[in-house]
Amino acid sequence: MAHHTHISGSRDIQMARSMCWHCQSEMSGEYFCERCVKVQPVSKETDYFTCLGLPRRLTIDQSKLEAKFYELSRAFHPDFYQNKSEAEQTISLGNAATLNTAYRTLRDPIQRAEYLLDLEAGSVKEIRTSPPSDLFEEILELQETMEAYRASDRASQAGRELRAQLIAEQEALERRKHDMEQQLQRLFTDWDTLQDRGDAGAPARAERDRLLKQMRDILSNRTYVKNIVNDLVATIG
Amino acid sequence: MAYSDKVVDHFNNPRNMGSFKKDEEGIGTGMVGAPECGDVMKLQIKVQNDTIVDAKFKTFGCGSAIASSSLATEWLKGKTIEEAQQIKNTDIVQELNLPPVKIHCSVLAEDAIKAALADYQKKAGDKTEAAT
Repeated sequence: MAHHTHISGSRDIQMARSMCWHCQSEMSGEYFCERCVKVQPVSKETDYFTCLGLPRRLTIDQSKLEAKFYELSRAFHPDFYQNKSEAEQTISLGNAATLNTAYRTLRDPIQRAEYLLDLEAGSVKEIRTSPPSDLFEEILELQETMEAYRASDRASQAGRELRAQLIAEQEALERRKHDMEQQLQRLFTDWDTLQDRGDAGAPARAERDRLLKQMRDILSNRTYVKNIVNDLVATIG
Repeated sequence: MAYSDKVVDHFNNPRNMGSFKKDEEGIGTGMVGAPECGDVMKLQIKVQNDTIVDAKFKTFGCGSAIASSSLATEWLKGKTIEEAQQIKNTDIVQELNLPPVKIHCSVLAEDAIKAALADYQKKAGDKTEAAT
């Protein structure tokens, strides 16, 4: 990232996290050196929760998130760095970009969960899950019905029947997506409760892995359902 | 980013689109998906005397996923089970000139081939077991 160009090598980055890049004094402030008041780069290793001052949980206080985001947005705003050194301008710009991504990710419960799963279990997206094959069958069948509808004369009896069928399918899928989201919500609560307990015993670890897997499965199935619903909406208008 | 001519060609004229009846003699079915984009791919092979005599696919996804599976079915036809095992996603990437962001589509096609082969072998194995 651009704001790291003045430092080279990983050891230096390690040092930069605990030392001010400008006055080399030990860092105690969050984003600004307490001694020389210079802005400090957000480390790449800082996760979005830490970045926005939130505990790493799936249920978060939206108003706290927003307040912290606005506070930091002001702190890093490029307008306030126009008369500062180039290094400070680069750092503040990099921070503002990271902050925006962090905020967008944490604001949305699904993206937040995917992000947390990335942190906790390695990349969710890279772990290949095998969604139930009946869901695949259903999606492919639905694709065929959509194709038939697109090719049909919309005003004909057959066209109208296909349309009615697609609308019913869409409603069923929306309900399913809603059910998945409620299921996720329950898992989120279970996850947070487990984290709050701070138990490192074997049963707690097994429970943790079970929750991660369940969340991952539902999240990926939800993506399939979401995509097909989008397609349905685009098709029947 | 523009699609390569070959991708566009496979997308516009997909080869071997369709499906076989799952429980028909000598059919292997592979169904895979990519959660990141919601793509779904179904690839089927028809095997006679250890050789793939026909292959069909149905893919719901982006142009590259469709082209990858279309190409895969073309390659599968006439190959033995063992030869088919050797098809790698990198071969598909090369043939179709897929950009880095679309490499997962070729991985999906390779997974679909593997799944179809495994399904066929499982069915064939079950049959020999039942016979003995």
